[in-house]
Amino acid sequence: MSGGRERWVTRALAATALALGLLAPLAGSPYKANHSTIDVAALARTVAREEDHVTALELAQWIKDRRPGLRVLDVRSPEEYDRYHLPTAERLALDSLATLPFHADDTLVLYSEGGAHAAQAWVFLRALGYHNVYFLRGGLYEWLEQVMNPTLADTTAPARDAFSRAASLSRYFGGVPRSDIRTLPADESIALPGAPRATSTVPLPARTTSARIDAVRRRGC
Amino acid sequence: MTAPYFELGYFGARGALVAALVIGIAFGWCLESAGMGSARKLAGQFYLTDLTVFKVMFTAIVTAMLGAFWLGRLGVLDLTRVYVPETYLVPQLVGGLIFGVGFALGGLCPGTSCVAAATGRLDGVALVAGMWSGVLATGLFFPALERFYERTPRGALTLPQLAHVPYGVAVLLVVLAALGGFLVAERIEAKVRTSVTPAAPDEMRRTVAPVVEGVGA
Repeated sequence: MSGGRERWVTRALAATALALGLLAPLAGSPYKANHSTIDVAALARTVAREEDHVTALELAQWIKDRRPGLRVLDVRSPEEYDRYHLPTAERLALDSLATLPFHADDTLVLYSEGGAHAAQAWVFLRALGYHNVYFLRGGLYEWLEQVMNPTLADTTAPARDAFSRAASLSRYFGGVPRSDIRTLPADESIALPGAPRATSTVPLPARTTSARIDAVRRRGC
Repeated sequence: MTAPYFELGYFGARGALVAALVIGIAFGWCLESAGMGSARKLAGQFYLTDLTVFKVMFTAIVTAMLGAFWLGRLGVLDLTRVYVPETYLVPQLVGGLIFGVGFALGGLCPGTSCVAAATGRLDGVALVAGMWSGVLATGLFFPALERFYERTPRGALTLPQLAHVPYGVAVLLVVLAALGGFLVAERIEAKVRTSVTPAAPDEMRRTVAPVVEGVGA
């Protein structure tokens, strides 16, 4: 009799659902993030090999090349983000890290004002299982210094090569490369030996970054 | 390999479309097999003569919920990557009311209207046309509606958050509610079957082989 069999199947399904439901409260949380562990040794090796961060110039090259899957993430406050952020950067609230819509293969690059928050977010994202995560070591400060306002360090050939590469990237992003900040016209070949400059010592990042952002904004970038 | 596959980048847009098509066809086939392409059967819900819709919906909810919970617990599914639609209280109450009136009037909901249209039922075709006109009009006038859309946001709310209970407890409560609901539904249907004699005329079946499109609910 099909009616009897149907009833039996219905009962069996109901009993299964009830059993799975009764076990559910005892099973703990189903969220994967709660089980995720940090492989401290592996992360430490990554840091030791310096594979955890990118330089501002590397990042600039990636953005310019439109590297597939690249997502530049700004972990500063919304106000700071609105005031100035890297080209193509998206704002990422630190407290929403656990529910992010990134793909496993995305290349995630984090940056903050100086680098501390970005480095912390780097650990969180690695703990969540993302593998291609980097942070901008010197933060926004490094970007402004190296990409938006690159300067020639000295007149040795490698320094000049590095400067000309940085300068071309800088111009792409609307920066102002300077071979010497004082008197000379912007001609790399006749730059004077790099005299110690006021800005070459590391100043307080917050204040300097703010001033530099103002300078970049005045240029209409 | 952890689910959700598309969200975690295991297959691209094309793979996702193929999967959606296959799942959509299977979904439509099952709806039709359960008799859900018939407006009479669905309207029976509102007259408490046929509670199939209630039972099918709650079965689907319980199955999906238990599946999501246990697959998540076993590490096969990453629940943090599953999209939870955000709650906007007032607009969704209004939307639900409009939806309910349409459901009761037409006897079909979006998914079942597609099934009905695919099997050649004219009311289904009319409802699908109406649905797409509505979608189009909403899209065209969205700038005017936008402020209303964004009223009373509550974020991505889930039952465990709302009730302040652990996820597993919420699962158990929903399972108990469903099983209780099924018992009540069966009682009501048995009462209707004995009081209404002869049985309601069998609905006119114009069902051709379900040429179902992969359209979701």
